[in-house]
Amino acid sequence: MSSTPIKDEASQLAILNSSASDHDKAVACQMLVYVAGPKSIPALVPLLESEKLAAYARSVLEAIDDPAASKALLDALPELQGRPLAGVVDSLGVRREKEAIPALQKLASGEAKDGQPEAIASLGMIGTPDAAAALEVILTQGPEPSQTAAGHAAIVAAEHLSREGHAEEAKRLSRGLIKLFPNGPIHVAAVKLETAPQ
Amino acid sequence: MSITPTRRQFLKTTALTFGAPTFIPASALGRDGHVAPSNRIVLGAIGIGPRGRKVLSCFLKEKDVQFVAIADAQENRRETVRRMAMRAYDTEDCKKYSDMNEMLERDDIDATLICTGDRWHALASMRAAKAGKDIYCEKPCSMTIRESQELADTINRYDRVFQAGTQRRNVDNFRFACQLAAGGKLGTVEKVHAGILSLREDFSWLPEEPLPSTDEIDWDAWLGPSPWRPYNKKYTQGRWRGYYDFNGGATLPEWGAHTIDLCQWAAGADGTVPVEYEADGDTIHATYQNGVKLVMRLAGFKGEGDWVVPGTCPVRFEGDEGWVEAADSGEIKSNPASLVKDFPEGGLSGTDPSKHVREFLDCVKSRKKPAANADVTRYGHIVSHAASIAWRLGRKVRFDPATETFIDDAEANHMISRSRRAGWTA
Repeated sequence: MSSTPIKDEASQLAILNSSASDHDKAVACQMLVYVAGPKSIPALVPLLESEKLAAYARSVLEAIDDPAASKALLDALPELQGRPLAGVVDSLGVRREKEAIPALQKLASGEAKDGQPEAIASLGMIGTPDAAAALEVILTQGPEPSQTAAGHAAIVAAEHLSREGHAEEAKRLSRGLIKLFPNGPIHVAAVKLETAPQ
Repeated sequence: MSITPTRRQFLKTTALTFGAPTFIPASALGRDGHVAPSNRIVLGAIGIGPRGRKVLSCFLKEKDVQFVAIADAQENRRETVRRMAMRAYDTEDCKKYSDMNEMLERDDIDATLICTGDRWHALASMRAAKAGKDIYCEKPCSMTIRESQELADTINRYDRVFQAGTQRRNVDNFRFACQLAAGGKLGTVEKVHAGILSLREDFSWLPEEPLPSTDEIDWDAWLGPSPWRPYNKKYTQGRWRGYYDFNGGATLPEWGAHTIDLCQWAAGADGTVPVEYEADGDTIHATYQNGVKLVMRLAGFKGEGDWVVPGTCPVRFEGDEGWVEAADSGEIKSNPASLVKDFPEGGLSGTDPSKHVREFLDCVKSRKKPAANADVTRYGHIVSHAASIAWRLGRKVRFDPATETFIDDAEANHMISRSRRAGWTA
């Protein structure tokens, strides 16, 4: 059986910009993934607030290799709440968007009622020294279960730091985790990191 | 095993807190050939349908397993499994959970059996790993290349024992064939063949039906990381296969998770993947860096394809001094025929997971890596997904095994991952 032909960007955008059904818009996003560029962003942003279609739109935005996609996600944050907000926070983590760190830090601290676990996880995925520092604040000052979530995220961050030329920061983070979590999965992962050859 | 003290502590604590039971069965004390509780692997299961029940029945037969919990989004499935446990143990102790996280929070559970639909395999496995559980997960274990990477990274991060449900690694005729090839008995391996089903991607939605109560079927949890679509009962009855949102890799990993995995072993390529992929209809040709060819070609439930050995999930390995072929019938054939003259007849069918389950349990105790560990699963699944992307694009794609990305190919790289629906991330 042959695959479904991939249509050009313009024809998919025409569907997204029309009053087409949820299904047609969902499939348009799934076709758009292959060919989407910055021109697709304006048609995708309105879908971010839809509980039904946001995941379809985010798949495209996560794939677009242009900073404009990250900016669109970041700009959408203040307009969203609930699951749509959590989804955009997750996408910013997937894209490892450093510009999002301050906004994610606020959400991770629980200032808003939504998006906290996703913000903590996204800081881990971004995994820069600044993101790790934001996680350390939650690790030392945050309430349970935020600390556990931050512990898991900090392991991911430490892996990024280790791979990306920040071995000392990675070691410091993993040593701190070993102390904070004297047993359990986070301890196991931190010890592994601490003893891994550079 | 690393978490045994916690489990034993739990048993000790609960005994102190609640007092000793009035009746202690001989099996609980380790008499009558049973294994004492402190030496048993305590198992919970997630998402158990027909295939899951087959695998679970293998676990229930093992004396060093105590199955204690089922988590499933569907009450009828929870209850079916609870009754299985009741029949196996003659107790009412199997606890039902609609939320897998609640089950994973239990300190007394050592290992999880994950047999959900494909959409949940990687995510549930990663949640289990983060909770410190060992994992036996049905295949395909990932929806995308990215999930294949994330899954292996997470398993290794938390030092968990992971066995993919690619049980043919522990089925005799397949093992024998792989060992012939990898051991040089066919000469230099030149071409390996993986039987696959016809590729398909269905983007349609079934008509919307009224949502059942969440106590009956929690549709939101059933969908999990998949994008939203309206409820229709057929999906929850197993009719999710073939839909793009629920079946990764255009269904290629359905059998490819087994057959490509075996080809990787036979080609000595367990730690890498081919560098080129090109589709010709339902056949996909791939080439490893060393020139070995991987041909993914049609097989089926009705003997489709040009295979010598009958049965589903066939594989064929060709070297410059001979070939060997094996399939689910349990048969194996070779040229020269003498290569398989010592292979005993009457082995397991390719679909029988009993030896694979046993190997997993042994590895939970020894902390060794089982045959279908997270690393071989990563690479085998990446091949399936990369091949399906070549089919999807209808042209040749080149892949860099070091970066695990497509080379100079934005279209293909856009297909490496999919978003997870909010609320259902790792």
